[in-house]
Amino acid sequence: MRPFRDRPIRQKLAIVTMLTTAAALLLAGAGIILADSVLFRGYLRRDLSTLARIVADNSTASLAFNDPDSAAQTLAALRARTHVAGACIYRSDGTVLATYSARSGFACPPPVMAQTVRSSRDQLTVSQPVVLSDGRRVGTLMLVYTLSEIGERVRLYGATVLCVLVAASLLAFLLSARLRTVVATPVSRLLRAADLVSETGDYGIRAQKLSGDELGVLVERFNAMLAGIQSRDTELRKVLLDREAALREIERERARFRFLAESMPQKIFTAAPGGESDYFNRQWTEFTGLSMEQIGKEGWTQFLHPDDLEDSIRAWRNCVAGGEPFLHEHRFRRADGIYLWHLTRAHPMRDAGGNITMWIGSSTDIAEQKEKEDELRRANEDLRQFAYSASHDLQEPIRNVAIYSEIIGRRYKDVLDADGQQYLGFLREGGRRLATLINDLLAYTMAGRTEIEPVPVSSSGVLQKAVANLSEAIRESGAAISSDPLPEVLMGAAHLQQVFQNLITNAMKYRDIAAPRIHISASAEGGSWRFAVRDNGIGIDPQYKETIFGVFKRLHHDEKYSGTGIGLAICQRVVERYGGRIWVESQPGAGATFYFTVPRYARTTLAVQSSAG
Amino acid sequence: MVCALCAAWGWLQALAEQPSEYDVKAAFLLNFTRFVEWPADAFAAPASPFAICVLGKDPFGRALDDILEGESVNGRKLEARRISEAPAARACQMVFFGTTEKDILRAVRSSGHGVLTVGEGEDFIRAGGAIGFILDNRRVRFDINQAAAEDAGLKLSSKLLNVARSVHKIEMDQQP
Repeated sequence: MRPFRDRPIRQKLAIVTMLTTAAALLLAGAGIILADSVLFRGYLRRDLSTLARIVADNSTASLAFNDPDSAAQTLAALRARTHVAGACIYRSDGTVLATYSARSGFACPPPVMAQTVRSSRDQLTVSQPVVLSDGRRVGTLMLVYTLSEIGERVRLYGATVLCVLVAASLLAFLLSARLRTVVATPVSRLLRAADLVSETGDYGIRAQKLSGDELGVLVERFNAMLAGIQSRDTELRKVLLDREAALREIERERARFRFLAESMPQKIFTAAPGGESDYFNRQWTEFTGLSMEQIGKEGWTQFLHPDDLEDSIRAWRNCVAGGEPFLHEHRFRRADGIYLWHLTRAHPMRDAGGNITMWIGSSTDIAEQKEKEDELRRANEDLRQFAYSASHDLQEPIRNVAIYSEIIGRRYKDVLDADGQQYLGFLREGGRRLATLINDLLAYTMAGRTEIEPVPVSSSGVLQKAVANLSEAIRESGAAISSDPLPEVLMGAAHLQQVFQNLITNAMKYRDIAAPRIHISASAEGGSWRFAVRDNGIGIDPQYKETIFGVFKRLHHDEKYSGTGIGLAICQRVVERYGGRIWVESQPGAGATFYFTVPRYARTTLAVQSSAG
Repeated sequence: MVCALCAAWGWLQALAEQPSEYDVKAAFLLNFTRFVEWPADAFAAPASPFAICVLGKDPFGRALDDILEGESVNGRKLEARRISEAPAARACQMVFFGTTEKDILRAVRSSGHGVLTVGEGEDFIRAGGAIGFILDNRRVRFDINQAAAEDAGLKLSSKLLNVARSVHKIEMDQQP
């Protein structure tokens, strides 16, 4: 026998319905029987009291005139009431006047004076005084009523209730069959749908909603749950597919990268985010003559020049720790034992979150380039040395030429004729020009010198100094020089002053008839300050925009515009030294504006530099 | 409980002293007043007592007086009287004839409106009396002449008729 809770809902419904019906009927039946027996007793008491009063009333004469016969006759009328067991009429002295008994064995109970109804388990005993019209009591009537009737009624009711119970249970069973279709059918369908889903794994299955009650809601929820699972399932599949695709893509990318790396002329390597190299392309084996296993095992330090080892490792560790690109020149040992210069670059690759996923690096053979650079540097140095010493050494003879031609001019003025005077003038002029040329050459070589440290300087202050230096020339030419407020820049003050001086001199030199008006301004442009020196001079033909910055390039060779042609070259050299550039914008006859840029510097940069210094 | 003792005591007493025939008859006389209805004009005055008269020889002795002591009918005091001749109109409401002599019987007839006549034996009925005592197997019973009672304007209770040994309807005219 299965426990009730494990039975199918169908059976549960039937059992519950029938039990409910039976319980209700039994309770109702019990209530009716109980109420009836109580009510019936009350009814009987009243009924019997009335009956006793009537009989007593009819017995007054019999008692008054002591007539047992008529009394017996009166009592005999009780025969109509089958449940009256017996009755007795007593005289006032307690003797029995008449008796009625429905069955043998009835004995008159002792008379009770008062009017009472006594009830025992199986009978009611009524005592009724017999009183004449004047209130005189002439006797007593006792009436005994058997309660077997109540038992009969209870049995009758019981039988009725039982019959109704059977009929109602049958009806309930039939009705519950209908109920089963209302409740059990949707449940079993839901169950079937659930079974089907778990068997097939097809989350597209839906249970059919048959009603709008809780079962209907349950079906809806079930379907919604299935829909949720279905969409998640689909999503999951998609994610898995995407993942597979992504993995394939990564594999393809890797293959592509390998192919690319192998086909490169450079030496390519990759490293883990922690800096440990994990890949070297074939060029490495070809260059070092080492096997791939050996390179992979001991890394690049094994063929590094011993002198470069410490520096390179430190730089690499710093870059890995800071995530900064790595750029380093060092020597690698070739298979034949010769060390060749290489430029190694490595960049960190980052994911979307900014985390380094790997390092990719390349090493390029720069031995040849290095060689050429060295040669060039040496040649430049030689040239600079030559120019410096030449200009320095030339100063002395030039000064002599100037001094002695001056002395001759003064002391032998009377001796020399007009031609001599003129030749002497040419000599003096030549000497002066030569001195200027030498000075400028010196300045040019000075501009390339690195001894001057860049410090923050006020460009306004520098401009003032430049103007003060040029005060003689300014006064002669009648030039008007103005300027906007100018920024603070990070430059050697002497260099900036050289630039200003040269540009202002240039502007005053190539003047028109009008007095020169020169204006200096500066504006922020990207990461730089752009200075502008504008004049109202003769202007420059655009075709010479580039050439004017060359050394000894003069556009005007006539006497009107004196100069060595080296000033703008000096300016360019200085500006480019600080990472800026210089150019000119002009139209002939419309004045010219010279621009140069100086990188802006942040105060923090300055702070770092000054603390480092 | 007390009443039950009282009842038991009364019953014992009754056993001790069996009532005599005239004690019973005296009680019957009293009881007749309970089952008979007298017309209003049977009394001389509204406050007149209800008189039970014994004509002729008095067989009751003290019994009748004793039993009537303190009793009343419809608010009228009951009293026993002894008379020697036919009573005056409306003086007696019930007359007991102690003898069965002829002249007495004549007196019965002369008893007028509103008087219940009670006598001894069947002859009394035949003579025109309303109720006649009869000893039936040593038990006091009575016959009723309903015609006589109705002639006197009295209404007899059916219960009384029911208790009577026999009920007759003997008209006066048929009497010899």
